[in-house]
Amino acid sequence: MKKLDSRGRGGRALAAAVLLLLPLLAACAALTFGRYSLSVGELARALFGAESDPQARKVLLTIRLPRVVLALLVGGGLSVAGTAFQSLFANPLATPDTLGVASGASLGAAVGLLLGFGLAAVQLLALAGGILAVALTWLASAGPQRRSIVTIVLAGLIMSSLFSALISLVKYVADPESQLPAITYWLMGSLSSANWGSLALGAPFILGGTAVLLALRWRLNILPLSDDEAKATGTNLRALRAVVILASTMITASCVSMCGQVGWVGLLIPHICRMLFGSNNQRLAPASVCAGAAFLVIVDTLARTLTAAEIPISILTAIIGAPVFLALLRRTGGWSL
Amino acid sequence: MVAVKFEVKNGCFSYEKGGRQVLSGVSFALEPGELTAVLGPNGAGKTTFLRCMTGLLPWRSGESLLDGEPLRSFRPAQLWRRLAYVPQARGAASALKVEEMVLLGRSSRFSALSQPSKEDAGKAGEAIERLHLEGLRGRPCSQLSGGELQMVLIARALAAEPEMLVLDEPESNLDFKNQLIILETLTELAEKGMTCVFNTHYPAHALQRAHRSLLLARDGSWRFGESAGVITEESIASAFGVKAVIGEIETPHNIYKDILPVSVLTMELDAPEEPTGEETEMETRIAIIGIIVEDREAAERINELLHEFGQYVVGRMGMPYPKKNVSIISVIMDGPEDVISSLSGRLGMLRGVSIKTTYSKR
Repeated sequence: MKKLDSRGRGGRALAAAVLLLLPLLAACAALTFGRYSLSVGELARALFGAESDPQARKVLLTIRLPRVVLALLVGGGLSVAGTAFQSLFANPLATPDTLGVASGASLGAAVGLLLGFGLAAVQLLALAGGILAVALTWLASAGPQRRSIVTIVLAGLIMSSLFSALISLVKYVADPESQLPAITYWLMGSLSSANWGSLALGAPFILGGTAVLLALRWRLNILPLSDDEAKATGTNLRALRAVVILASTMITASCVSMCGQVGWVGLLIPHICRMLFGSNNQRLAPASVCAGAAFLVIVDTLARTLTAAEIPISILTAIIGAPVFLALLRRTGGWSL
Repeated sequence: MVAVKFEVKNGCFSYEKGGRQVLSGVSFALEPGELTAVLGPNGAGKTTFLRCMTGLLPWRSGESLLDGEPLRSFRPAQLWRRLAYVPQARGAASALKVEEMVLLGRSSRFSALSQPSKEDAGKAGEAIERLHLEGLRGRPCSQLSGGELQMVLIARALAAEPEMLVLDEPESNLDFKNQLIILETLTELAEKGMTCVFNTHYPAHALQRAHRSLLLARDGSWRFGESAGVITEESIASAFGVKAVIGEIETPHNIYKDILPVSVLTMELDAPEEPTGEETEMETRIAIIGIIVEDREAAERINELLHEFGQYVVGRMGMPYPKKNVSIISVIMDGPEDVISSLSGRLGMLRGVSIKTTYSKR
């Protein structure tokens, strides 16, 4: 099958328009669904009109809207971070978590829950844990020789498993009646605790990191080249790598600190976009942001509306993502970086 | 094109501090618009030399100079728009399309936070056309053959509009035809004024194409000079440990030099302790070089070359033959055999020129 971008300029413009509208449409639709369901007219009135049902307005502004905004941010952020890491490591299996950021953030949150901290403190601890894990990975990868990508990945693997072990330790000592379920549920990931307060704290990291990665999107193409080739493009390779790692870490740590580990998005969305739009990060990175944002809004809406009890989001991303991914894989004949 | 002056002064390199010197005290200067080959057996440090020379790997001591300024004093983006590096095409797995890959070569021309402009795309397009790769534009690099990919990598280097190309084994792993395409491309670029340096596994390619050669041996010794003076049966024996015969193959149009490896010298040959770079004394011979020039542009280059070798030229006769629109030149030389063969080699490299050299018996 031909890729979309080979359909010429018109096809490309159309694809761009669809991609930009997709998250907005998904968000609007998501706002109307839920146990307190709203029609499109009610939605518009509640958002912009003066005379609206105060009940609807309250549901919308304090519960549904922050949750949809969180889904947009996390979906877009994790996808672009995954795209960047796959280029950085020249490896299609890289995820935003390759350097251990999610394990670190989870450990931070688990410790916060164990100590009975409030939500804001747990979020801060998670953010710090994620950044700490990547910092340790970075330090551990420094040997007598210059850092190579392989040693960085290995160090990330080691940090991930170390932090996972520590999470198990925290779970082991946690009170099985109250703390353990809280920690376990948190680790499964959920967007249900979304509120404006946590967004105010977490969103700047995601937006900032995403902006940096989008600004560097042409240079992301240089990262998979061999070191000599990359340097010979006149790029300061060490600085570029450090900035990409820092930006991605900020995004992922902040995502995990707000809604726990949301698996699959950072792996799946970049690949789907690569199959559809080609490997040039100039188009791929923005496409990943849009597709990821739309995807997570849709999945989260399903998670809270399919059944009476909420389904943990990571379960759904995998159940929905895997078949979509496989279908695309069969139709496009696969991907490479 | 601006004439670039590039020099390496006393370049030394060893992997460990104080360890075995892979390269010891190598010095060479590149002439603008010349093709220079770097040769040597496996492990002699050909690739290391290119990496050190371009600053991708730091010299332990010594330095590389571009227009008299040490390479280190350039900012990377500044350096890499004058100097372009072409890596060996080892089946790169990138799925970028050819036009995108070539456009990557423009990256030294804009800041890290900006995107390639229309002008950049135009220059990349020119590089693609210059190497006649239009047909590949939209193909993913991962689907190209080795020869195609190597050409794409050269186009990527040209997109930066450099003054100098450095190529790491551009024709290794390629078949006959593709090797020839690459060598022709380099010859053509050099003729247009591009200074080119390439690593090669094939002494014959250096002898046939390169104006100058740097021969590296495993013991760290090296020779640099006119290809015909550097690549001799003796130097191949000492650098490669191979007994080889250098011969000439005659065709109706030209004489081509070739090297035939005959046998491996089993005994460890100590490199003859001759002073590097210095030409050995040779018996002089009289020779007559007959030249038919079909391309007017070549006539000028021939004059330059004859001027360069002026001290050995005894006499020359030129005769235009308007009926067939060609000129016929005959040059009589008296000089060391390798000088004469170097001149005839370089004349033979020109386009639209047929030559034949006849030597006296003694």
